[in-house]
Amino acid sequence: MDIDIIELSERKARFVLSGVSASFANALRRSTLAEVPVLAIDDVNIYDNTSVLFDEQLALRLGLIPLKANAKNYNYPEECSCGGLGCASCQVSLTLSAEGPKIVHAGDMVSTDPDVRPADSSIPIVELKEKHKVVVEAVARLGTGRKHSKWQAGVAGGYKNMPILIIGDCDTCGKCVEVCPRKILKLEGNRVKVTEIIECSLCKLCEKTCDMNAIKVSDDPESFVMTFETSGNITASELAIEAAGSIKKRAGQLVEILETLG
Amino acid sequence: MVYKCTRCKRAVEIDYQYSGIRCPYCGHRILVKERPVLVKRVKAE
Repeated sequence: MDIDIIELSERKARFVLSGVSASFANALRRSTLAEVPVLAIDDVNIYDNTSVLFDEQLALRLGLIPLKANAKNYNYPEECSCGGLGCASCQVSLTLSAEGPKIVHAGDMVSTDPDVRPADSSIPIVELKEKHKVVVEAVARLGTGRKHSKWQAGVAGGYKNMPILIIGDCDTCGKCVEVCPRKILKLEGNRVKVTEIIECSLCKLCEKTCDMNAIKVSDDPESFVMTFETSGNITASELAIEAAGSIKKRAGQLVEILETLG
Repeated sequence: MVYKCTRCKRAVEIDYQYSGIRCPYCGHRILVKERPVLVKRVKAE
């Protein structure tokens, strides 16, 4: 197994994962969606709401705000020593108090834990007009995307096989250069060159257009260009590490169960 | 259940014996239900 990082920013990671099967690459993608724990607002205590939104609608909007926090500091409510009643190690409270006229943003929420805050402070929650008021207390808990999409850490995960483009003898007619939707082919002297092979979408338009059958488009079945994106609640590198860790943990549990059987 | 008259803004008890909704103070027929003063717990989902 080999990893070659193409792009790594706080919210996005793109890398080439080679020497693995498609099922492993898919397991990693699914793990980023459903198995990485993050904090999200679970319960909302509404003290006053004279805004245009119903209480339930307001609560849903609050729930979908990505919260940036160190998930390692918190336990799952069902695994916590308090027995799920709610304590400082399994839940965090965020309060929101606003009076119109104004647009209430995610950044207006005040957290009891300074390390827990909305990933984007500019997310609009509700627009308040004159005399409208919202006073709520939101309780955030740890969860995974398996339970509800508000706990989904990876929001845009995908992969494709590593493209392979072989260009043989050609008459440099330039048709393939024109037809390529990703603009990755370039005429250089009397040759067609591939500039960014990773950007190839494997559409095979160049192969179909070539009159001389000089282009062969294929893919590597054991190499994948993977893209992970987070909603800001954890960093992209943490997401990949946690997702892989989750697979390892579950595989370990399977081994333990199988050992007790045999 | 206490309602509020939209014209005279007074708290109104509805008389169920009387067939119809009417404010006993001003006779207005539009009454609104006020939000109860208790904390409402809603699941964020």
